[in-house]
Amino acid sequence: MATMTAAPRRRPLSHTLTQWGVPLGIVGAVIGFWLGALIGEHLVPADANSNNSNAALIIAYIGSAVGFLAGMGFFHYPIGRLLGRARPTEADDAFMYGEDGGWKRYFRLNLDHKVIGVQYLIVILFFLFAGGLGAMFIRAELLQTQPSFTSAESYLEIVGLHSVLMIFMASAAIIGPFGNYFVPIMIGARGMAFPRLEALTFWLLPPAALILISSLLVGGFPTGWTGYAPLADEAVRGMDAYLVAFSLVGLSIALSGLNMIATVISQRAPGLRMTQLPLLVWGVFVTSFLGLLAAPVLLVVLIMEMIDRIGSATFFVPAAGGSPYLWENLFWFFGHPEVYIFIIPAFGLILEMLPVFARKPIWGYRVAIGGMIGVGALSFFVWQHHLFVSGIAPSLRPFYMFSTEAISIPTSIVFLVAIGTLWRCRARFTVPMLFVMGFMFNFLIGGFTGVFLSDVPTDFTLHASYFVQAHFHYTIMGAEVFALIGGITYYLPRITGHELNERAGKIQFWVMFLGFNGTFLSLLAVGILGMPRRVVSYDPALQGLNISASLFAFVLGIAMLAFLVMLVVDTIIKPRLARSRNPWESLGNEWRMPHPIPVHNFATPPTDWVLPYDYDRDDARPALLGGGASFPGLAE
Amino acid sequence: MSAKRRLIVTLGAAWLAVAVVGIVIIAVLPFPPDHASDTATSISNTLRLITWLAWPIFAAVVTGIVASVMIGRRDPNAPHAAHHLARGNPRLAGMWVGAVGLTVLALAIFGTLTLSNEEAAEALGLGGRAVGNSVGGAGDESNLEVQVIAQQWQFVYRYPGFGGFESAHLVLPVNAKVTFHVTSLDVTHSFWFPAIGVKADAVPNNDNTFGTQVTKLGTYRIVCSELCGLWHGAMSDNNAQIVSPSDFTAWVAQQQAADAPVMQYLPPYSHTYVPNPAAYGS
Repeated sequence: MATMTAAPRRRPLSHTLTQWGVPLGIVGAVIGFWLGALIGEHLVPADANSNNSNAALIIAYIGSAVGFLAGMGFFHYPIGRLLGRARPTEADDAFMYGEDGGWKRYFRLNLDHKVIGVQYLIVILFFLFAGGLGAMFIRAELLQTQPSFTSAESYLEIVGLHSVLMIFMASAAIIGPFGNYFVPIMIGARGMAFPRLEALTFWLLPPAALILISSLLVGGFPTGWTGYAPLADEAVRGMDAYLVAFSLVGLSIALSGLNMIATVISQRAPGLRMTQLPLLVWGVFVTSFLGLLAAPVLLVVLIMEMIDRIGSATFFVPAAGGSPYLWENLFWFFGHPEVYIFIIPAFGLILEMLPVFARKPIWGYRVAIGGMIGVGALSFFVWQHHLFVSGIAPSLRPFYMFSTEAISIPTSIVFLVAIGTLWRCRARFTVPMLFVMGFMFNFLIGGFTGVFLSDVPTDFTLHASYFVQAHFHYTIMGAEVFALIGGITYYLPRITGHELNERAGKIQFWVMFLGFNGTFLSLLAVGILGMPRRVVSYDPALQGLNISASLFAFVLGIAMLAFLVMLVVDTIIKPRLARSRNPWESLGNEWRMPHPIPVHNFATPPTDWVLPYDYDRDDARPALLGGGASFPGLAE
Repeated sequence: MSAKRRLIVTLGAAWLAVAVVGIVIIAVLPFPPDHASDTATSISNTLRLITWLAWPIFAAVVTGIVASVMIGRRDPNAPHAAHHLARGNPRLAGMWVGAVGLTVLALAIFGTLTLSNEEAAEALGLGGRAVGNSVGGAGDESNLEVQVIAQQWQFVYRYPGFGGFESAHLVLPVNAKVTFHVTSLDVTHSFWFPAIGVKADAVPNNDNTFGTQVTKLGTYRIVCSELCGLWHGAMSDNNAQIVSPSDFTAWVAQQQAADAPVMQYLPPYSHTYVPNPAAYGS
């Protein structure tokens, strides 16, 4: 009997792999871990005693990350191309870009930059809140001058975990969600230059997080986020998790930088000049160079440490001819640009939001770009200010003191632009605007405390004290995380069509602002009075200030939790739909797009993408682009 | 006087008041570190100076932001947004960069001068790596060399000028010019004696020097300020003392007598005590 109907077409492997997304990835991770451990155990001869368990663990972690990516379907396309198989069909592409919609596309390999932006946002929030739990633990423990409800060992593990999770969070807090979501739209592109690479930069983060957290199973790592050798050489096996997880994140930072640079240079709508790009794009663009140039150095130094631990290479072991200074120099050569990788996109985002709520054009657009480029370029020439007391040649100190202080010149430009924009403005003090102002206040303190640290004589007393810790938290928690929360509030209507409760948001802002400043002003004082960082027991004379810091920290913790609750309630539990498609009356081009934004953004490249800061012209409101579902109660 | 001008004057006066009050408070605040050495005094003066410099600028930026917003609110009819300088003012930007640049330059020159200051750099030996092989003046109390040997998780002090005995607590004679030679036996530590403003990383196989003149009698606390493993937080010496020269001499004699039986087991004094690489791994 002849079959009348054609056999049903076999579902392409890419579909099978990716529609199971995370579960298949986990299966792959488990297989990879097992294979890696097997290889590692036999790779290093047993007479190298404990080293082979490090080898097994490191290769197992790498295997689990590769296995996870394989299970997610990352290798299907490149291997297919290598073997000369047919290009993906249109149906394949439609699937890979999630044109079927639905929530499942967020849990699998997806090439739509907007889906990736949302994925980033969720994982960033996970890092933030998981790391925040660590912070609450630390502050609770430090209510007492001696270890009370925890051991010195678990305290150190939590310090390590808190710091590295927060570094992961900060590395992508702005550039991950807002960079990936809005840069292609803002430059009038259909997507990123390398969509698969973009997905990869995101999907490297979940295995990194799991590997890092799994370090608790094997004793944690005792080094904090700086991983100083030779302490890292003698550390227990949890150190291996730090090395592999941080490598994955380093790879993600470098690849994301590469992709963003290529995208901004090559994917702009025809005729759209670099000097017509919004400042968020410029912030991301400048940062991408830092990521591309600095993160590979991190990878190198982490791999050297892995070889130290697996093969006794003794790069960093002085007893055998290595040098701790090698680690310190290479790490901070990455580490200092890294902190500007955190903050420059936040500059961009803040300057992007400022004109919207000041209802004025940005003051000194080109000056702002110059400021961000200046900060980025100088950031490569300051790393030895982390080594002022380490015993480096004293003749090097004046240069690094000068270069560090010089960074305040381009940074001050960002403030000049902000003040210029605010000058005689009729500000609308919405929640995002409050966060913009909070950012500026906190970053100002972060910047001024930085001057104390850059000055060598005062650094002799402040270095590695709680003053440094508080300074760093002022710039990252007080500035970048304030920008993140302001940014979420600002962009939520654009991304999901929801808006957050305005009144609750204002209360949340003030509680957060108070809790934050109370905590870290106390810690600035504690540091100046002689308390080193990362200690579980301290001088009883400083207990009062520590209690103050802890109590304010709990207030801060409650405020953060309140934000999470607001976010979940207003988007998922009792969705609060935005008043209109563009509730902030922003002139940003991204707000002209239909809602939801189509998968490939544009059928044809936009021709009227102009600098979105013309708040001084009455006829400035650009036409909305048509299409998309309309809003209930939409007033355009 | 227009509402706008009145506001500017009010805010300017508010800034001036805040700046002046701040400067007065900064002048009377006891700036750490404790003034137990000339280095500590110099650091505390520098801290005060930078705070003096920073406070009015900080207040000015905050006032500037508040002023910008308030002027706009008070004067809603002003054609502010369409002003021809609303999109930037290259001359102002240039002046701003110039002003900040000059401030930075002044700060850097001031810091460099402090560093290259004869007192700070030579006599006090803020030296980083030690030069030469001088191993302490023999029994010279006014020019004392002390070696700080860090290990997980305590500091041990060695007095090369007095036969190289070791002590678990630091004792210094007041008014002595002390040079610390800081080294480590295992991982990187940092020797921090807050009261005398001394901080130097203890790095294995390295001799990190830091000099100062101690000036105030008392009992002080020394801590480790570089994360060095499990008991980093407990790595402190709560009984560091600055004593009179006669007490110091007595203490040295007592310590030498106590240490005499074990002196033969101590390794000879050296700038570092890292095991011989040739023997490593054998």
